[in-house]
Amino acid sequence: MAKKSRSSGLWYEAWLRFKRNKLALLGLFMAASVILIAIFASLIAPYDPVEQLIWTEGREVRLAPPSVKHWMGTDIYGRDILSRIIFGARISLQIGIFATIVSLLIGVPLGAIAGYMGGWVDDLISWLINVVFAFPFLLFVLAVIAVFQSPSLRVVYIAIGLVNWVGIARVVRAQFISLRDREFVEAAKALGLPRGKIIFKHILPNALAPVIVQATLGMGSIIMTEAGLAFLGFGAQPPTPSWGLMISEGQKYLSMGKWWWAIFPGLAIMYTVLAFNFLGDGLRDALDVRLKR
Amino acid sequence: MFSYIVRKMLYAVPVIWGVVTIVFILMTIVPGDPARLMMGQRGDPETLARIRADLGLDLPIHKQYTRFLKDLVKGDLGVSYRNNEKVVDALMTRFGATLKLAFWAMVLAALLGILAGVVSAVKQYSIFDYSAMFIAISGISAPVFWVGLLLLLIFAYTLHLVPGVGYVPGDWRYFILPVITLGVRPAALIARLTRSCMLEVLTQDYIRTARSKGLRERIVIMRHALKNALIPVVTIIGTQVAELLSGAVLTETIFAWPGVGRLAVEALIARDFPMIRGTVIFMAVIFLVANLIVDISYGFIDPRIRYD
Amino acid sequence: MKRRLVWFVMVVILLSLVFVGQNAAVAQEPKYGGVLRWRAVNDPPKLDPAMATDTSSSRNVYLMFDMLVDNDPDGKSIVPRLAESWEASPDGKTWTFHLRKGVKFHKESLGKPTENGGREVTAHDWKYSFERLVKVNSPRAYFIDMVKGYQDFVDGKADEWVGIKVVDDYTLQFELDYPFSPFLSVLAYNSFVVVPKEDAEKWGKEFNFHPVGTGAFILERWDHDQRLVYRKNPDYWKKDEAGRQLPYLDGIEIVIIPDNTIAYEEFKKGNIDVLPAPPDEYYEEIKAQYSHLLQERPELGTYYYGFNNSKPPFKDNLKLRQAFNYAVDREAINELVIHGRYYPAKGILPPGIPGYNPNLRGYEYNPEKAKQLLAEAGFPDGITVDLNVNNDPRHTLISEAIQAQLKNLGININIKVLDWGVHLDLCERGETQMFRMGWVADYADPDNFLYVLLHSENHGSKGNYSFYSNPKVDEMLAAARVETDWDKRMKLYQEAEQMIVDDAPWLFLFHYTTSLLAQDWLKNMHLPAFGDYTTPLEVVWIEK
Repeated sequence: MAKKSRSSGLWYEAWLRFKRNKLALLGLFMAASVILIAIFASLIAPYDPVEQLIWTEGREVRLAPPSVKHWMGTDIYGRDILSRIIFGARISLQIGIFATIVSLLIGVPLGAIAGYMGGWVDDLISWLINVVFAFPFLLFVLAVIAVFQSPSLRVVYIAIGLVNWVGIARVVRAQFISLRDREFVEAAKALGLPRGKIIFKHILPNALAPVIVQATLGMGSIIMTEAGLAFLGFGAQPPTPSWGLMISEGQKYLSMGKWWWAIFPGLAIMYTVLAFNFLGDGLRDALDVRLKR
Repeated sequence: MFSYIVRKMLYAVPVIWGVVTIVFILMTIVPGDPARLMMGQRGDPETLARIRADLGLDLPIHKQYTRFLKDLVKGDLGVSYRNNEKVVDALMTRFGATLKLAFWAMVLAALLGILAGVVSAVKQYSIFDYSAMFIAISGISAPVFWVGLLLLLIFAYTLHLVPGVGYVPGDWRYFILPVITLGVRPAALIARLTRSCMLEVLTQDYIRTARSKGLRERIVIMRHALKNALIPVVTIIGTQVAELLSGAVLTETIFAWPGVGRLAVEALIARDFPMIRGTVIFMAVIFLVANLIVDISYGFIDPRIRYD
Repeated sequence: MKRRLVWFVMVVILLSLVFVGQNAAVAQEPKYGGVLRWRAVNDPPKLDPAMATDTSSSRNVYLMFDMLVDNDPDGKSIVPRLAESWEASPDGKTWTFHLRKGVKFHKESLGKPTENGGREVTAHDWKYSFERLVKVNSPRAYFIDMVKGYQDFVDGKADEWVGIKVVDDYTLQFELDYPFSPFLSVLAYNSFVVVPKEDAEKWGKEFNFHPVGTGAFILERWDHDQRLVYRKNPDYWKKDEAGRQLPYLDGIEIVIIPDNTIAYEEFKKGNIDVLPAPPDEYYEEIKAQYSHLLQERPELGTYYYGFNNSKPPFKDNLKLRQAFNYAVDREAINELVIHGRYYPAKGILPPGIPGYNPNLRGYEYNPEKAKQLLAEAGFPDGITVDLNVNNDPRHTLISEAIQAQLKNLGININIKVLDWGVHLDLCERGETQMFRMGWVADYADPDNFLYVLLHSENHGSKGNYSFYSNPKVDEMLAAARVETDWDKRMKLYQEAEQMIVDDAPWLFLFHYTTSLLAQDWLKNMHLPAFGDYTTPLEVVWIEK
């Protein structure tokens, strides 16, 4: 009982620290705005993101520069780029969230077991973590995606999750190593509680803060990875308004001076990643977590 | 020291083995038949079978695996399915291009990052500090391929200051944009880290002591503060080498740079198994070597660290 | 006054005609010297002609090697190359080739003397070269599997390919298992060239990096991913009409420039002489500003979406397949999305191939009719179909446009962008509903399209990915293969094509074009129907 109030006090203190950090609040605001845009995309977007206007309105709407009608211009099919960017937020967030869940589902148990058990189990899991780390990240994801026959958003987040879990696992493992010999763990062991219960009920809640920080910071890099994959033609399928896919489709026309197709989606990626980076940094400072990279 | 290095290298062996095995497994279950790709669109099943046999793809998996490991131990990475080039030769020629790119990107990143970080720390809360940190965090948040396109748009297609994409050895103009593109992210990370480390160090007792002894500010900063602040910076440079190789995949694709990253992606698409294995193993080795060098270099920077 | 003006104008016109004529005559006098710089997108994967199956490799193979026969520039007939003449026996099963005398192999390659020392080519070399195709597992050897003894030789039961006979040093004979009318056209494929045994045996697989042939140009240097440098072959066998030694050029440089923008800029600056397949995004600008440098013509190729005729929903549902065909506005897509680079297709055979039928009954854009057919096909509320497309910007571009057009009729298309390898895999296993595919002629004969892509014998990997089968069509196509009367053959093909089009096994889309930009100082440069990569360069000269 006493422990619980102590830990909720910790969270409260963290919130106070977080509130004082301007960048953290900015991050929170930016992230919230992206989430709201994603949720209310169909209300905000001026056009249907997949509607191709060239068939009805002809050449004038093909690759039209930004104007009052189309704030960010149109692409070769006369689709409204602003509307596509707005709907694209859904794709990026979806990937970010689901890939994070996959990484947590793999990384937390493996990291916890490695850290708690030590010995050969730890050696084995640590070896696996090191192996995945030694892989060039993007190539590994590409190879995993190639293994699945038909690409889809689900394949993308599973593939990213399969690679991204190592960061989480490392953090959890380090936490468990420092926590496993604490008094409250010893007490639980003395009570004869089953191992699983000790790991997940007693130690894990105390190891949560760094996991949250790592996962938040990870969101940014996952969103960036998704964009990179879509850019190379893997992942989101057309006409999905994935930001990376838009950059990839638009890049050919950059050199002709039709820059809006490829440049605006990049700004959207930057804004979103920036949001999660600010938020993650803020959480780290607030929760007073030191992460080993 | 020597035994430490040997131990570390021995430790790398199972990691490399793991990388090799995972690549092998992925490539056995990946759809897409390399023999088929060599034949092109129209394939006569019989010729297909003969090409598969020629490539050793008809052997049972475990035999293919042991054969591959044996060759690997001998340093033989095989021959590309796609163009008959020896994988080792291909890696050597392409690695030059990647290395040049990564090296200059790292030099740029380290110089710019440390400089910006130190000035930001010394002039904390100044306009310079704010704008440098804003640029840094934007640099971390922007996708590398988009940065590349943006630079191309501005400097190549609009201002015509540089020639655009392509690789002409010896012509430095072709290096500018790819180096900047690849260097942005590490530069930003280094700047941020240098700044925070410097701030921490500057509040330490020995700096105060040094200052109180009347040493000039510049000497305090350069000789005492920076040296200590650099320890974590060196770490990040080491880990960045690995990220740089991953980032090189995209940078090389945009700038049509004939490096290892692009080679790897092309090989993956062509199901050129020997080349895929070769590039991945090669990159993993580079990663481990870079980490080893970082570990060792600690000793020179921070004498408190002992290798035992 | 008026009449005077008329006279004056007429004189001016006459004079200018004379001058133009004179200019043309002057321009006919070829000049020797100079190096032609040709843009390539990527490093050629294969320089060994036995292995070359892609266009970037073929470009190089055509410079260094010679086939027995060649396609004429329009793809309409077969002309002599290293064979001066030939005849077929009345039963169509024996083909005799009379070889050109005095043809010599390259004396050197990559700056070093070759093993063969520049000796003359004989029929023995041809036999060796054909047998080598089988020995090195050439992916194209089976093109001539009707030559007697192929199977035994492949299986190792025979130590020679008995159907290929050396009658004397200058006479080569092929004996076929059955009459095969397109045989001559097949021999014009770029794998069926002559190579010197001495060098091929010396290098083995490395022959790929040390190619030696008989062609107009000799490889001098290969800087991977940068350039291939060729020097002229001084002992080349070919002379022009006036008896002058070919080639006129001192050399060729294949310059590898992956980026389209750069390549175009380099062309504009004059640093590149030929820019094959000018990039789409500049096409409108090129048409406006450089139309005098642009050569363009239909290529012998077809771009289509295949339906899987062996699985629902397309199996046994003609109306559904026809509905799709009526639902796509090919003209508009071509014009608005791909910059008018293609020709809308009515059927299978591209213009330029023998047997092409301009009066073919195809499917026009008719959304009303499509809607009605869709309802009659049993899908009044629409249908959802997977479309597999291989990963390439142009293909996804087209697929998104078609997706949008079909959506207007309630047809939902799920686009799946796949790696080429996976794409082929799924297509040949029949694990698709609808797939993008293209086909460019290996040889200029309708057989190469209709038989390969639509005969039921070729289901799966051999080319019929849509698993179309119509016994009547099968019968006609088989009959056309062995028919020796040209007109009768063409008639069979035209009838078969109409029958296939009526069955709508594909969504017929486009025919390819081939094009190149050539600087105006290049003379006698003619783009053949087979594609830019086959453009003969030994007859080109530079007039600066």
